[in-house]
Amino acid sequence: MEGFLHSIQILNYTVAAVTLPLLAALINFCLPVKSKAAGWVSTTAILLSCVLSAKVFVGVWNIQPVHAQHIWFTIGKTEVFAGMLLNNLSAFMLLLVSLIALPVHIYSTAYMKHDERYARYFTYLSFFCFSMLALVVVDSLVLFYAAWELVGFSSYLLIGFWFTKDKAVQANKKAFIMNRIGDIGLLTAIIILFAQYHTFDIDQLFAEKGLIAQSVINNGLWVAPTGQLPALWQYIACGGIFLAVAAKSAQFPLHTWLPDAMEGPTSVSALIHAATMVAAGVFLLGRVYPMFTETELTVLAVIGCLTAFMAATIALTQNDLKRILAYSTISQLGFMILAMGVGAYASSLFHLATHAFFKCLLFLVAGIVIHQMQHVKEDNNLDIDPQDISVMGGLRKKMPLTFIIAIVGGLALVGLPLTSGYLSKDGILIQAFEWSESRAGWFKIIPVMALLTSWLTAFYVARLIVKVFFGELRLLKNYPDIKLHINDGGWQYKVPLTLLAICCLFPLFSLHPLLYEQAWLFNGLKPSNFLVRENIYHTIIPAGVNILSLFVLYAAYAIYIKPNGFSFPQSGFFYRLSYNQWYIDDIYKRIIVKPVLWFGSACFWVDRKVIDGLLHWLTRISGFIATLSAWTDRHIVDGFLHLMAAIVQSIGNFARKFQSGKVQYYLFSMLVIVLALFILKILI
Amino acid sequence: MITLTDFMVVSVALFCIGLYMIISKHNAIQILIGIELILNAAILNLVAFGKYDKANNSGQIFALFAIVLAAATTAVALAIVLNVYRRYKTIDPNDINKLRD
Repeated sequence: MEGFLHSIQILNYTVAAVTLPLLAALINFCLPVKSKAAGWVSTTAILLSCVLSAKVFVGVWNIQPVHAQHIWFTIGKTEVFAGMLLNNLSAFMLLLVSLIALPVHIYSTAYMKHDERYARYFTYLSFFCFSMLALVVVDSLVLFYAAWELVGFSSYLLIGFWFTKDKAVQANKKAFIMNRIGDIGLLTAIIILFAQYHTFDIDQLFAEKGLIAQSVINNGLWVAPTGQLPALWQYIACGGIFLAVAAKSAQFPLHTWLPDAMEGPTSVSALIHAATMVAAGVFLLGRVYPMFTETELTVLAVIGCLTAFMAATIALTQNDLKRILAYSTISQLGFMILAMGVGAYASSLFHLATHAFFKCLLFLVAGIVIHQMQHVKEDNNLDIDPQDISVMGGLRKKMPLTFIIAIVGGLALVGLPLTSGYLSKDGILIQAFEWSESRAGWFKIIPVMALLTSWLTAFYVARLIVKVFFGELRLLKNYPDIKLHINDGGWQYKVPLTLLAICCLFPLFSLHPLLYEQAWLFNGLKPSNFLVRENIYHTIIPAGVNILSLFVLYAAYAIYIKPNGFSFPQSGFFYRLSYNQWYIDDIYKRIIVKPVLWFGSACFWVDRKVIDGLLHWLTRISGFIATLSAWTDRHIVDGFLHLMAAIVQSIGNFARKFQSGKVQYYLFSMLVIVLALFILKILI
Repeated sequence: MITLTDFMVVSVALFCIGLYMIISKHNAIQILIGIELILNAAILNLVAFGKYDKANNSGQIFALFAIVLAAATTAVALAIVLNVYRRYKTIDPNDINKLRD
């Protein structure tokens, strides 16, 4: 009984936590576009959500999963249920999303202060939070799909928030289309799963002894308790899920939308592209994890590793502050997918959590820096790009708090000890090595590449921080006499940053700063089999990674601190490859976008020339027929009448002539008639 | 020897000239003259046919009657012409079409 009441309470809290942002969005939608109240409505809503989520989390975490559902609709004999499923994974995601959203909301009240459409911004932001929170708690794949779409849609609104900028419009279209590709995959997977198991219920499907766990692939058949299908369908379903994950979490073939999506407000980037939306893909993987077979997991690992490595190399040479962070996000998401692939399920989600904090932090720092540079630009009418790190430098003296916080976030991203990033990332590396141990030799490439990636991460983080915060402001070299009013900003900037910075340190996750195995979050999420510190990897990898990382950090510092010191050649093949983002966008443009556009214009041509042409032809024919009948009407039908009238008239005229009133005519007519009578008489 | 036929020819010629004048002339006086010509054609016929009548000189007497009547009608017609001229300031019958209604 108590347990029942407990779950009722949890469910109520959850419903409230999810719907409060929606309520805020609705209220804000009704407010005038410039209303400053909107910020407080949204922030209050997310604060309450956050408190309620914390309550839910405390009630669910490691105690007992809560699953409630209600019949939604019935088709034939199939009953479709809708409800909520709160287990460790969703409760933790619920808390994480609201916890990340809260500082972003506070930050946004200051960051968007001068925007024309302040209330609209918060409407979108709250709506996004609602979709994301709904995504993590729903228990039915159909609802999940709906929430997934809502997340895509609200991110579209947010990315294109400044829709007067052409680039922003391009970016949100790109993000939306890329996400649609993933949505097709998810939909396919859901349909196949339903065909096989006749249910949409996530709990029934993916629970420990659920339907998926009981099905096997045998001799090319996918056998489940509810029926069997050819094994091909299982591969297609997994492929669909992978496509969905790749689109939302920006994995290799579909990652190009994320860097472009940086056109949105920076606070949006912090929320969507660091902590929530892109994490939805990893969360989906976490939900459907039992579905993947060994081979499919290996594919995931390879893709994740490739993405992580590629994005890290691209981040090395970018000059746009947000773009570097975007590629860093892609790289870290690659790590998460890699972790999923090598079976480090808990580490992956753990990394998701830690990454959410430090990446959100870094984005917010970037936002402040960009804001200040924007002020400098506007105050002095300079022609610079406020996001370009090559004009920055020396900001540590002007904005000390931001500087310290950026250092904390950066170190967490690199994964140095004492930070949360260390705990999660080294866990992934260790487990990747152990995974490759039991496999053929070439599988070693994956963990080695991951290792390399983490050094690359160290390098680009150091480059970013040194270029932005150390040395002298490079802007002064070109414009020596400009006025600078750069500072840390108000409390709406300082409080969220400090909060997030604290969350980036180890004590939040583990009491022991060095051993990821003791992190409570890690242990709560179905730990993998690699727990025992049985082999040498558990010591040598963290040590090796971090010593080398320190070295790399110092090297980068040494290179970039000197204004005219050593610099990398900017013309080599690798530089161009990295700077142009591996030419992936260009390739897409050439082999996909161009043919699609060509096809579009071909269709347009066919439409205009053939279909419209046919119509025009028909128009012309009917026009001709109409003209013909008009002519007939006028000249033949009317003509006949006119002829009759003319005859009558001429007869009348003829008769009238005799009535002219002139004496001589009367006489003449009389004469004629008499003569005529005589002639007739003679003739007859 | 003047035969009946010769009289008839002169009479027809007179009649036709008179008829032509009545139809084609634009002057009421000339029309009256035309009428007189026709009357004279008829009188000529009376006189010519009178030669073959059993009663003596009946044709000549009728002719005298007719001449008197013609003089009377001419007087009346002239009076009408005068009145017409007073009213219309013209005696061209083409311009006088009030007879129409």
